[in-house]
Amino acid sequence: MLDKVKNEQKRKVLVVDDEIINRMMLGNIVEKNYEVLYAENGQEALDIIRKDGKNISAILLDLMMPVMDGFMLLDTLKEEDLLKETPVIVLTSEVTAEVQSIRMGAVDFIKKPYDNPEVILTRIQRIIELFEDRQLIETVEYDFTGLYTKDFFLEYMSQIDAKDPQSLRDTVAFDVEHFHLIQEIHGKTVADEILSYMGSNIRDFLESHPGIAGRWDADQFYMYVTHLEDTKELEELVERLSNYSPDITVRVHAGIYTAVAQDVEEERKTAAAKSACNTLSNNYTKVIAAYNEKLHEEEVYAEKLINDMDDAMNEKQFKVYMQPKYDVTGEEPKITGAEALVRWQHPELGMVSPGRFIPLFEGNGLVQRLDHYIWEETARIIAGWKEKYRRAIPVSVNVSRIDLYDPEIKTKLLNIIEKYHLEKKDLHLEITESAYAEDMDIALKVIASLQNEGFLIEMDDFGSGFSSLNMLSRMPIDALKFDMQFARTIDTDQKQYHLVESLIGFARMLGVMTIAEGVENKEQYLAMKKAGCNIIQGYYFSKPLAEEEFVHYIEELKEETC
Amino acid sequence: MLSIDALREYGADVEDGLTRCFGSEEFYLKLVDMIKEEKSFGLLKEALEQHDLDAAFEAAHALKGVTANLSLTPILNPAMEITEHLRQREEMDYEPLLKEILEQKEKLDNIINE
Repeated sequence: MLDKVKNEQKRKVLVVDDEIINRMMLGNIVEKNYEVLYAENGQEALDIIRKDGKNISAILLDLMMPVMDGFMLLDTLKEEDLLKETPVIVLTSEVTAEVQSIRMGAVDFIKKPYDNPEVILTRIQRIIELFEDRQLIETVEYDFTGLYTKDFFLEYMSQIDAKDPQSLRDTVAFDVEHFHLIQEIHGKTVADEILSYMGSNIRDFLESHPGIAGRWDADQFYMYVTHLEDTKELEELVERLSNYSPDITVRVHAGIYTAVAQDVEEERKTAAAKSACNTLSNNYTKVIAAYNEKLHEEEVYAEKLINDMDDAMNEKQFKVYMQPKYDVTGEEPKITGAEALVRWQHPELGMVSPGRFIPLFEGNGLVQRLDHYIWEETARIIAGWKEKYRRAIPVSVNVSRIDLYDPEIKTKLLNIIEKYHLEKKDLHLEITESAYAEDMDIALKVIASLQNEGFLIEMDDFGSGFSSLNMLSRMPIDALKFDMQFARTIDTDQKQYHLVESLIGFARMLGVMTIAEGVENKEQYLAMKKAGCNIIQGYYFSKPLAEEEFVHYIEELKEETC
Repeated sequence: MLSIDALREYGADVEDGLTRCFGSEEFYLKLVDMIKEEKSFGLLKEALEQHDLDAAFEAAHALKGVTANLSLTPILNPAMEITEHLRQREEMDYEPLLKEILEQKEKLDNIINE
């Protein structure tokens, strides 16, 4: 709604009339001041409003129309709560209809035949202004926890600074660890009670420490307070926030940012406090962290990586490495494939590991381009082997969550296969477990169609998320790839071993292969093999190898076996 | 040729119609020309032949709306009259009013096509 006000572009007005002459005549008037959208009947109008209602400033609606008349449309809009978004002005020549339509939620009417155009324009303008003012007033300043909503919090932060620019202030961010899990386990009512409890404790704190507090994105709380000389009282507050009930574990962390410079933007301050807070996730000993130089350096580093991405892509600084996969079901382990892994050969920073840049790529969507690049590079490498050895070694490549939303994904993969004369089984697709969990329906549909096409699907990072065994049986998967943490502890942790063993048994029942990655030593290898795992990947066999290294590796293997 | 003068002579309230078009003669004439394709005439005739008074009312009402906006008084007057009778779903002989509407439409068509 605020966007409608701020927007420098023309506001949009939807004209709904089945008679083309009326539509054009009214459109010609309205377009003097507005961008005009047209609909021929109620149904068409409804489709437009459902899709873009927030961006439409007013609807001019004829009442008598075929398919869906104006009354029916008003009814539906009211039912779907869409009348709150956009005012409807009816076009009519009947007094009775005017009364009825106003009763049904229209805010005004324009008479047919049309009045003087200027009158119509003034009328529309007045209605839009009234409506937008009303919505501004209705925008909530506080939420149910008694704290400010985001817009108001940020606005008041700047007002406080403007009134007294000299004083030093702290921005504090609070975060509840795994809040979504609390919500899932204990339900929304309890989760809301926890938030209210936190809100009231934070307000109590403000009685002795001048400042303001806000909350948004569910469990993100913020304070903007006079600089705290020592953090003891804040620590006590965090402790209180965690003590909602002895039966429910609520772990709260806080991050502090103290802006020394005066020209730091409000959102920058909250973001800095938040990143300090984020450093404590899964930390059980510390509850408060301050934003410091190191964090700042990390952010600068991340910023640099983001800025350099585009050039890196164009200059082919990304190198595909291959880590061999071994089939361990027979007496002797046999190489059976590889996983394509990416490294960034940065001209100034040297080798950058994917752990540093992949999350950044995922954040800005570039990961899709990177994935595509790796698919193609991998296909090129496989094609080279095929020519040299008359046989292909299948390679698995990563498919990111965002790729699944690309309507062209199948075509893109098929084009690559065709271009390099590969078979679909040469390219395995690794899809992370969490991609299955979010928007499950879409993910399942896309993945199933890739599988039907003949690609082999490996579920990556299995066990790191929340997929239940029950869900697993319905998923399109050819192989399960255990999260690295399983390999790390399987040789020392009996419970973990039994868990892996039963998961492998379950996978076998479903006819799904199992792969372990991150296997680093003989003990881990033997434990995985004993548990029944089919394929093993990790430093125990080989580190990821550059393209040429991999070729040497294969040739040495051949010599050994000859 | 369709012109403002020809329309005025036909009996249209040209000034009124032009006002709604911000005084643009070109745009006004373009809209009047579109009356050739207006489907309500046919719908009204058909509905009356089948004695479907509901459908006839809808068609007459639509016709009234369009001709009122274009200020085509010679069609608008009988259209208004027939709409009011049809609104009450009166059992009457609609033929004379329909004939008047269609004759005026034909007259206008002739001006447009001249």
